[in-house]
Amino acid sequence: MTAFLTVRHIAKSFHLDKDVTVSALRDINLDIDRGEFVVISGPSGSGKTTLLNIIGGLDVPDSGEVILDGLKLTGLSERSLSRVRRDHIGFVFQAYNLLPVLTARENIEYVMRLQGVKGERCRIRSAEISEKLGIVSLLDKLPNQLSGGQQQRVAVARSVAATPRLVLADEPTANLDSKSAIALIDMMEKLNQEEGVTVIFSSHDPMVIGKARRSVVLKDGKLVANNAI
Amino acid sequence: MFLNFAFRYVLAYKRRSAITVLLGAVSTALLIFTSAWMDGSHGQLIKNSVEIYSGYIQVTASGFRENPGFDKLVFDYGSLQDQIKTVPGVDVVSPRLETFVLFSAGEKAVGGMLIGIDPDKEKRISRLFSSLKGGAYLVGTDTIQLYIGSELARRLKLDLGDELAFVGSGTDYSFAADKLVVKGIFQTGLFEFDASAAFLAKPYFDSIMASENIASQVIVLPKEPVRAAQLASVIRKTVGGAFEVASWQQTMSALLKSMKLDSVFGYITLGLIFIVIFFVVMIYTLLAVFSRVKEIGIMRAIGTTPREVLLLLLLESSFLSFLSVVLGGIAGALSAYYFSIYPVSFTGMEEQFKQYGLAVATIPTSFKPLIILRDMAIMFFLLVLATLYPIIKVNCLKPIEAIHHV
Repeated sequence: MTAFLTVRHIAKSFHLDKDVTVSALRDINLDIDRGEFVVISGPSGSGKTTLLNIIGGLDVPDSGEVILDGLKLTGLSERSLSRVRRDHIGFVFQAYNLLPVLTARENIEYVMRLQGVKGERCRIRSAEISEKLGIVSLLDKLPNQLSGGQQQRVAVARSVAATPRLVLADEPTANLDSKSAIALIDMMEKLNQEEGVTVIFSSHDPMVIGKARRSVVLKDGKLVANNAI
Repeated sequence: MFLNFAFRYVLAYKRRSAITVLLGAVSTALLIFTSAWMDGSHGQLIKNSVEIYSGYIQVTASGFRENPGFDKLVFDYGSLQDQIKTVPGVDVVSPRLETFVLFSAGEKAVGGMLIGIDPDKEKRISRLFSSLKGGAYLVGTDTIQLYIGSELARRLKLDLGDELAFVGSGTDYSFAADKLVVKGIFQTGLFEFDASAAFLAKPYFDSIMASENIASQVIVLPKEPVRAAQLASVIRKTVGGAFEVASWQQTMSALLKSMKLDSVFGYITLGLIFIVIFFVVMIYTLLAVFSRVKEIGIMRAIGTTPREVLLLLLLESSFLSFLSVVLGGIAGALSAYYFSIYPVSFTGMEEQFKQYGLAVATIPTSFKPLIILRDMAIMFFLLVLATLYPIIKVNCLKPIEAIHHV
C-alpha cells in the first residue's frame, strides 16, 4: 500500500558563505501513513525544521522528492504550492506566527476564508474547534492580548480549522512551560484522533517526544532512527 | 475578504498609513498648485499681451495683415461693425487706423505710429487707459491732444503740455501734417510699443488723415475671451471673404510658441518632481512593506497565493493613494481657487514684470476642475505605480525566506 506521505532521497544544503556549505539533510527517506502522530526529534541543527519545511513545500530540496497523498510536491510552482498548503496542510510554528492585525477568530478562519468557505460555515467550524481547544473566550482578542500558550492554542486551531490532511508543527512547545507544552501536545493528539488528521511535529523535549506514537530521529542531517514508540 | 483585510492593515498601522497619506497628499497638492500656477501665469501673460493693445480678435481687409497698405484698409467700417455686432458673444467692436509718421520736437525727429482710436471703446478693449503714467487719457472730443508712449516721449524729450509736429500721409495719399500737444503719457511695459505709439481721438484724426469711416483694423472684444478662436470663426463666416478675421492665437503666434516652449520646460520640471516623488514613495513603501515581510511570509506559508498577497498589498496601496489624492486634491484645489481670486502679488517688482510683458505684478492661479481631476488621476496612478516594485519584490521571496527575513 502507498504511504500517505513519502519522502525520497531528500538532500538539502545551505551556502553560508562563498566557500562554506552546510549539509542540512542527507538522503532522507521516510514513509508516513494517514492518521499517524509522529515526532521528529534530534539535537539543534540536526535538520528537523528543514525537513518539515520541505515536507510542507515551504522550502525546496536540492534533490529528492516529496509525495503527499499521491501528489508530487517537488517541482510545483509557488502558486500551486500555496494551494496545496491551503487545502491540505496546516502549520504550527515555534513562534506562533499569528497574523497580528486579526483577532483569534479571524486567524482561525483565515485559511477557510482563503478556501472560499462562507462566513456562517466558518463561524460554526471555528466555534467547534475553539470549543475543543478551550479557547472560546479568546476568540475576539488580538494576538498581542494573549499569552504564549494561548497564542499557540489559537495557532493549533488555525492549523486544523480548514480540515487539512496533514499538520506540521515545528517545535510547537519550545516557547511554552512544561505544563502548557504537555497540554498542547495532548490537544494535538486529541485532534489527531478526533479529526483524523496526520500530525508531524518536531521537538527535542523528551517529555513531549514521549507523547508521540512514532519517533523519527535526525542527527547531522541524517535519519538515524525511525521507530514506533 | 482582502478588501476588509486591507482596511484592517491600513488602520492597524496608523503611523505608517498617516505618513504615506501625508506624503501622497503633499505631493498631490504640490502638483495641482504647480500646474495651476503654470497655467495661471501663462493665462496672465496672454491676458496682458492681448489686452495691452492687440486685442482678442482683429478684423482687417483681406491681404492687409500680410502686406499692409492704404489700398487694403477697411472702408466703411460702420457697416462692418454693424455686421459683427449681430454675432452672439460679441461685446465691443472698435475701429483703429494705424499710420506711420515722422514725429519731430525741437531738434529731435523719430519715426513712429500714429493711431486714431475711439477713446471710450478703447478703454474696454485695451489697457491704454490703465497704462496712463502722467497727464490724462483721451476723450472723443479731443483734437490735437496726443496720448504718447513714455519711451517715445523720452526720445523726443517731451513732457506734458509740450508741442510736437508730425508729417505723414493721409489715406488718400495726400500730405498730412499737424502740430499736436502732449495730453497724456502711457507706459504699457511693452518697450517697442511704448517707444513708437501715439494716439489721437479718431474724429479729429480722420479729419487730418482723410479717413472718415475708414479703419486699418477693427478690434472685437468677446464676452468670453476664452472662446475668442470660436467667435473669430463665426465672425469670419458672417463678414465674408473680403475680410480677414484673426483671433489672438493667430496674431500672436510667436507668443504662443514661446509659451509652448515655456510649458515644455515647465513639464520637464514637473517630470523631475514626479521622479523625486516616485522614488520617495517607492523607498518609503519598500521600507514599510519589508517591515512586515514576516507577516507576508506567514500568509504565504498558510496558503495565501502570491497573487492574493499582491492583491492585498495593492488594495492597501490603492486605498492609501486614493485617500492621499483626495486630501491633496482638496488642499491643492482650495489653494488654486484662493489664489485665482486673490492673485499672488509681487509688490515692488512691477518693473521686472513689465520687461516680460506683464503690466501688473500679480499672478493668479488657474482654477480648472478638470485639470485638477487630471492631476489627481496622474498622482493616483504614480503613487500606486511607485508601490508596485516593493510589492513585487517582497512577493518574490519564498515563504520561509520572508518569515526569517531580517
